[in-house]
Amino acid sequence: GLAHGRHCHRQRENGSGSGSGSGSGSGSARPQPPEPSLLRFLVCPLSKRPLRYEEATNELINEELGIAYPIIDGIPNMVPEAARMTHKKPPAEGSEQP
Amino acid sequence: WRLWRCRCRALLSRPAGRLWARRGLAAGPEMHFGFQTVTEEERREKIYQVFESVAKKYDVMNDSMTLGIHRVWKDILMHKMNPSPGTLLLDVAGGTGDIAFRFINYVRSARERQLQRKLKHHQNLSWQEIFESYQKDKFNSLGDSQVVVCDINREMLKVGKQKAQHLGYSEGLSWVLGNAEELPFDSDKFDVYTIAFGIRNVTRVDLALQEAYRVLKPGGRFLCLEFSHVSNPLLSRLYDLYSFQVIPVLGEVIAGDWKSYQYLVESIRRFPPQEDLKAMIEDAGFFKVDYENLNFGIVAIHSGFKL
Repeated sequence: GLAHGRHCHRQRENGSGSGSGSGSGSGSARPQPPEPSLLRFLVCPLSKRPLRYEEATNELINEELGIAYPIIDGIPNMVPEAARMTHKKPPAEGSEQP
Repeated sequence: WRLWRCRCRALLSRPAGRLWARRGLAAGPEMHFGFQTVTEEERREKIYQVFESVAKKYDVMNDSMTLGIHRVWKDILMHKMNPSPGTLLLDVAGGTGDIAFRFINYVRSARERQLQRKLKHHQNLSWQEIFESYQKDKFNSLGDSQVVVCDINREMLKVGKQKAQHLGYSEGLSWVLGNAEELPFDSDKFDVYTIAFGIRNVTRVDLALQEAYRVLKPGGRFLCLEFSHVSNPLLSRLYDLYSFQVIPVLGEVIAGDWKSYQYLVESIRRFPPQEDLKAMIEDAGFFKVDYENLNFGIVAIHSGFKL
């Protein structure tokens, strides 16, 4: 429908291969994975240790500390305030996967 | 907030007792927000709100307040940086992307000149080279240059990202929401670190400078473009008049926000002058620290190297 059309348009505008979400077509929270080049330098701001990208929830996970940073609109939110503890359930908006 | 406390409790086992003080979870020391006195936490919140509020009108306001001269200042910063293709830039507090876009333009032209020079010397191309020249990607129009824009404010980043899409910037550009005092980047990674009109809004400048030092490669350069102090008394008076009488009014008329621009003007007055900032940069470990006044000190570019 109209929503799907809008997603297609956004995908075209995204340029360098970062717009490959699952096309769930539901609202504005379509997951956009981060730029692969970014993952080379991104670390946890607290421990400065490497992160793992979790495609299912579109988060960057620090296994050691058990925290996950969300990626919102393709922008990783790398501030502790935005992180969630991984032993809790992921927030509702992150689980709109088909 | 509960998450913060859980995390801090978990981390207290590390030798990070100072994490409490750093986080300012207690009432915390008093700091300035413009001419007001606030706690560290209040200051962060207030500044976040200022930029959340002005984000959409940020560029328009910059043009009106500085009569477009901020563009020249940013161009001068880029020329001073003189990045060559392949440079990795971290632009902190880079919100709406002004420095990032200039960087991309600069390395793109530098790369074009580089390729032209190469072609001049290779009048007889091999079949391989001819084949490659038909593949735009291979030519690597930016020469592997990259800029990461880091800002703590989601609204500013949103505006920046939209601008990038609108102006056609996509290659070699990425956006991260992060805190200058606690960067989410690995050490010794970047060739250049810039912070343009942002360091004034950082609550713990010393921490931001330490983080800048950490993420730069050895040989990397720190560049800071910021409002500074005018020593000439007559000019200073005129500048004050303009700042306190005209700017907040412009803020109200154009952005519907007097208070934010009042904060802007006050924060400029409260920020350490050239020599003091130079000393702070040296304290963070940088060498060959120097500054260049633009427009009699209304703005200054500080530079330092990690050796």
